Amino acid sequence: MGPGQQELTQAFAETALPRIVFVFGKGGVGRSTVAAALGLARARRERVLIVEWAVADCIGPWFGSASAGPVPAEIAPHLAVENFSIDEALRAYFVDHLHMGFLYRSVIHSRAVARMLAVAPGLAEMFFLGQLWWLITLAEREAGLVFDRIIVDAPATGHGASMLDVPATVAGMSVAGLLATETARVVGMMEDPARVGALVVTLPEPLVADETTALIERLTARLARPPLALIVNRSAAAIAGPAPWLPALAAPLSPSTRTAVAELHGELLARNEVERALRATAPCPVTSLPELPGRSPLEVVRAVAEAFAEAR
Amino acid sequence: MSPRLHVVLGGGGVGKTTLAAGYALALAAGGQRVGLLGVDPSRQLQRTLGVQLADLDAPLPGAANLRAAIVQPHQAVARWVAEGAPDAAARLDRNPFFAALGDRLATATDVIAAARIAEWVEGDPGLTDLVVDTAPGVAAIDVVRAPRLLSALVEGRLIRWLRAAAAVGDGRFRNVRFGARRVLGGLASIAGAPMVLDLAEFFALVRAPLERMLGRVERTRHWLASGEADLLLVTSPRDTGGAAAREIDDALRAEGLAPRAVIVNRTWPPTVAAELATLAVPAGAEPFLAHARATLAAQAQVIAAVTTWAPALITLEAHPALTLARRRALAELGASLCRDLDPVATRSAS
Repeated sequence: MGPGQQELTQAFAETALPRIVFVFGKGGVGRSTVAAALGLARARRERVLIVEWAVADCIGPWFGSASAGPVPAEIAPHLAVENFSIDEALRAYFVDHLHMGFLYRSVIHSRAVARMLAVAPGLAEMFFLGQLWWLITLAEREAGLVFDRIIVDAPATGHGASMLDVPATVAGMSVAGLLATETARVVGMMEDPARVGALVVTLPEPLVADETTALIERLTARLARPPLALIVNRSAAAIAGPAPWLPALAAPLSPSTRTAVAELHGELLARNEVERALRATAPCPVTSLPELPGRSPLEVVRAVAEAFAEAR
Repeated sequence: MSPRLHVVLGGGGVGKTTLAAGYALALAAGGQRVGLLGVDPSRQLQRTLGVQLADLDAPLPGAANLRAAIVQPHQAVARWVAEGAPDAAARLDRNPFFAALGDRLATATDVIAAARIAEWVEGDPGLTDLVVDTAPGVAAIDVVRAPRLLSALVEGRLIRWLRAAAAVGDGRFRNVRFGARRVLGGLASIAGAPMVLDLAEFFALVRAPLERMLGRVERTRHWLASGEADLLLVTSPRDTGGAAAREIDDALRAEGLAPRAVIVNRTWPPTVAAELATLAVPAGAEPFLAHARATLAAQAQVIAAVTTWAPALITLEAHPALTLARRRALAELGASLCRDLDPVATRSAS
């Protein structure tokens, strides 16, 4: 049994995973680890693509591959990674998809427009979602790319959640033409529980938990449904509990080390408390992954993947 | 005489906001006149300080010499537009593009932040220090990169063409010359003419404030590159090899900037590792002790890795009282950071 396996199985037994699984969470909570582990687990029986949106892809190097670029690169059997690039997405959309090379070169790629697109708020988010739509709809016909499952390593909390606001925002503007069509497609995709769902990753730490609660509320409102599951990473439940041994452990230590040990233990107990509160309030199934210190990222990914493998 | 700028950068969850708040409180307690600006779109700074903050800086209750604010793009732009022409503000309010631009589009936060930094200094000549808490991870770099992006936008021909189109309000763009008409017509074929005209009206309304903003953003860029700015890069002792910090460092260097110091936050004292290594383990304590030893091993690994590239390294010991977000504990932490930075920082009396 991998860590937390039974609970994970239960959490995922209630809902089948949608085609696109967004992994959300504050920076540093282990979002990429969870995305990679879920991808690795699903790749045992289907073709999986992890889509990142980062300065440099970190998942490829964990698997001993180069940092992935905007074209899917296989890092394990049936598991590929791509790192979104707005420039490449614009080119692919206008040239490969719409066959509007002239419009692309004379308008989109012209110096005047390209400069503005670089800072236009929401544009990159819109194209990011548009590309996800393309991946599950047209990618096979247009580019021979076949993926059964797309896992999105979404940007950290603030930037990530505002990505979900963008389609509705754009739909509320006076758009027409191509952009209106694209927006309608993306809005339809986001509304469909069979196509889009969200996993939320958190840590059992007070400030992170506050932010996670706010994030879950925002996701639930924006998607009109709760997340698929909340994953509490680095759970201390298996490490710290009642500690009758603490006085015996502390007795031979110097005062400063004794303080440090007591603080570390207290910090773990506090984490358990936060985890309990999260479990009590979350509107979705909650599952925990244990703290796995001293292991390489790939080892952690493999251990977590074991836990995911049994879930539906 | 310009104040000193302190920009706190780091991956998510490393304690950036806590350090920025503590540092600002400590500087203020030391008699400096300090500003504290939160750029993090999740508004972590408000949670840390336990107060509501706004676009405009206000004195922090209970802390003399310290004013605080957060970046709120929508409010900031509306305020800048109203400063020049109150009637423009009403039209801006009705512009669907501006309405859509709200705080929800967090990508604007970093760009506005760069202007907000210089604006603050203009409005408060007595300020000696401005501490900026950035967004987590490499997104933070956009505060540094924003000046370049924004000047590219404002100086662009497209804005001129859009303004020309807005002056007439003709969806066929007949009043602009051929090259411009082709581009605007192309955009209209993608998003529709009304959208392009809304965009055009928006740029016409924000013209003056945008130009003021560009001036401010330029000043911030110079300031960041000057000796008067300290970039402080924070890392967790549990981040594998300090990878997140290294990524930010690389991104900074690509912009011609370098951190003044790298701070490994929430470390355990070095003596703890030695004592735990030789300890007899009471029954039942194995999982906890294994966790404690692995935590310490990870810390040693981060410090060793960061030492190979950091210009200066500061370790700050774990501070459990901070989980309660207590103001005094924050200030103590900040004071400790001040002491550690002292030999590192070349604090001039300019």
